[in-house]
Amino acid sequence: MQFRNRGKPEKQNPRINEETISLTNLREGERGVITHAFGGFGLVRRLAEMGLTPGVEVKLLRKGPFRGPMQVEVRGVALALGYGIASKVFVRPLKAESNG
Amino acid sequence: MAKKLRIALAGNANVGKSAIFNQLTGLNQIVGNWPGKTVERAEGTLHFKGYTIRVIDLPGIYSLSTFSMEEIVSRDYIAIEKPDIIINVIDASALERNLYFTLQLLELEAPIVIDLNQVDFAAKKGIRIDGEKLSKALGVPVNPTVAITGSGINELLSTVIALIKGERKLKPLKVKYGKEIEKRVQAIEKLVSTKLPQLCAVYPARWTAIKLLERDTNVAGKLKSYENGKEVLYYAEKLASELEKIHGETSPVIIASERYGLATKIAKTVTIIETPPKISLEQKLDALTTHKILGYPILAVTLASMFTLIFVGGNFISMSLDYVFGIFTTYVESILSSLLPEIAVSLISRGILSGIVAGITVALPYIVPFYVLLALLEDSGYLPRVAFLMDNLMHKIGLHGKAFIPLILGYGCSVPACIGCRIMETERERFLSAFVVVLIPCAARTVVILGLVGRFVGLHAALALYAFDLILIFILGRIAFKVLPGEPVGLIMEMPSYKKPSARNITLKTWSRTRDFVFIAFPIIIAGSVAIEALSLFGLMNYIIEAASPLMSGWLGLPSVAGIPLIFGVLRKELTLILLSELTPLRSLSNIQMIVFALVTMIYIPCLATIAACMREFGWKKALAMAVIDIALAFFLGGIAYRLLSLVMST
Repeated sequence: MQFRNRGKPEKQNPRINEETISLTNLREGERGVITHAFGGFGLVRRLAEMGLTPGVEVKLLRKGPFRGPMQVEVRGVALALGYGIASKVFVRPLKAESNG
Repeated sequence: MAKKLRIALAGNANVGKSAIFNQLTGLNQIVGNWPGKTVERAEGTLHFKGYTIRVIDLPGIYSLSTFSMEEIVSRDYIAIEKPDIIINVIDASALERNLYFTLQLLELEAPIVIDLNQVDFAAKKGIRIDGEKLSKALGVPVNPTVAITGSGINELLSTVIALIKGERKLKPLKVKYGKEIEKRVQAIEKLVSTKLPQLCAVYPARWTAIKLLERDTNVAGKLKSYENGKEVLYYAEKLASELEKIHGETSPVIIASERYGLATKIAKTVTIIETPPKISLEQKLDALTTHKILGYPILAVTLASMFTLIFVGGNFISMSLDYVFGIFTTYVESILSSLLPEIAVSLISRGILSGIVAGITVALPYIVPFYVLLALLEDSGYLPRVAFLMDNLMHKIGLHGKAFIPLILGYGCSVPACIGCRIMETERERFLSAFVVVLIPCAARTVVILGLVGRFVGLHAALALYAFDLILIFILGRIAFKVLPGEPVGLIMEMPSYKKPSARNITLKTWSRTRDFVFIAFPIIIAGSVAIEALSLFGLMNYIIEAASPLMSGWLGLPSVAGIPLIFGVLRKELTLILLSELTPLRSLSNIQMIVFALVTMIYIPCLATIAACMREFGWKKALAMAVIDIALAFFLGGIAYRLLSLVMST
């Protein structure tokens, strides 16, 4: 799957809504909407089957120690994603309504 | 005569499916493998309202694609064997994700009944599901259950019978896609049903069309054996590419998104959120056990107490059993010797009998408590947390967090650890994990390390051996990871909520696993025991010792009789220590000899039962390769250690 920049070209604070960032760059407790994932055919399909499809909202619950896995909540389920996989999933961060 | 029925349980992992299976079948279950596959197959029977019902528990999966062997096995079973009814067990607290799977069952045009499980747990989270509405939306019956208590099980079975008798009818929802997809699905479906009538007798045409549009390699492969297959395949690929051009995603992602869209819509209309979820005890426990810092001491304490319990308790039981069986064996021997010639007596008592005794004294004291504790950890939901904590470290040897679980099992016994490697997703991952797992010192090897090195040389030396073993595993794991072809798979794992384990489930799990262990390990231990006894009876043992002498004394610096315990150790590793002490006073050995002996015992070969388990999992070639590598490695390292230690200790 090709990389597509959904953001506007203006240079702004990277945490502003229009930009997409990697899931690993979300902070604990923050939410984002998945824009795309890149990686092999199989991986992207697997992520979609586990509910991580483009357009779905995720919440980063917890980051594992030492560049460990990310625990995210998607569709009411908690999933652990290895760091390598999580870094290939891109989200558009939602404005924090701080909870969590 | 009782009427016969065949039903299958299908659903996601962690939805309480096996608890439902246990409620349905109790002790009447057989656990085995799917023919030719290393996928567990559990089957049981029950009687209900004059019907004899065979229940097959399909593996817990999230999709019916071709990601894993489990998924292919499940969908082929449903499509080809066509069970009378499929009970789709779904988790009321995670409806959306579960419905994604349900929709795929509907696409496969399977006759399903929904078992809305864990309704109690969902209620705790403040989620209530309107079963009536869900039933209407899907066009199939929905029965709420609580698997742990068994509530709702009878109603579930009654529903199944009502469907069979035709008192209730299914009006299953037809899964429709958006215009762009639907148009193409229908076009392919039309072509499939006209060009491939034989295939349509097994798989529904529409399902085949959807799978082709999803670029499903397994279905594509099936098509190739038909005359018109290529033509259909070419057409489907063209349409898939068109679709991808429109959406800018790969077609499986587009279709999965749509399916999820429908699942979300249904879930929203039937879910009633009652109380805003407050932070529960389970969530606190979750936060604590996956904590960046605190998670690790908790893990260490959990594992340490588990193994202390097994070793202290197990050792006591094992010794008592050994004593009892010792008396029993002598008694049998004395009876037999009056009836049979001497050779036959030796073969029976030292071959068959001591094989059985060896099996029992390992299985009962160590394996059973180990399985109980393991089931406890599994059912409570702690293991995924362990995998979460260890993921990063396991990546260093090309595996991911889940592989840490068979690794822990390895400290108990290599047999369940090898079988435990099934939790890994791909064949490559499974083999890689098994390769490192057999190098972990199991309970029997720990007996040797502690009983010889720990006792005579000192605990620091024993611990050094353990540390060395871990380093070795790390290095070998890395090498194997580089050498074995294929791509490493990252971690994508559900983290189920913590749950209170049920005594019934733990008992049943322990029972079926112990039985499985006995079936794998006992025949091979007994056969091996007889073979070795025959070798020594016919005087062949001396030749072997003589032949091995340059290796034993020349290379390893051990007394040449040490060859005998090492041969017997193939049966059961703690035998090496017992036999060594019978052949030569342990105190007469130097510290270096003890360390070298323990080191070789630790690595040199997985015991026969483990080899048997590996053979079953990976075939004899890989199992043999593993054994040969380990033997070579053990003697190589033993010799090096002998020389290095002599050098270090003399200065």
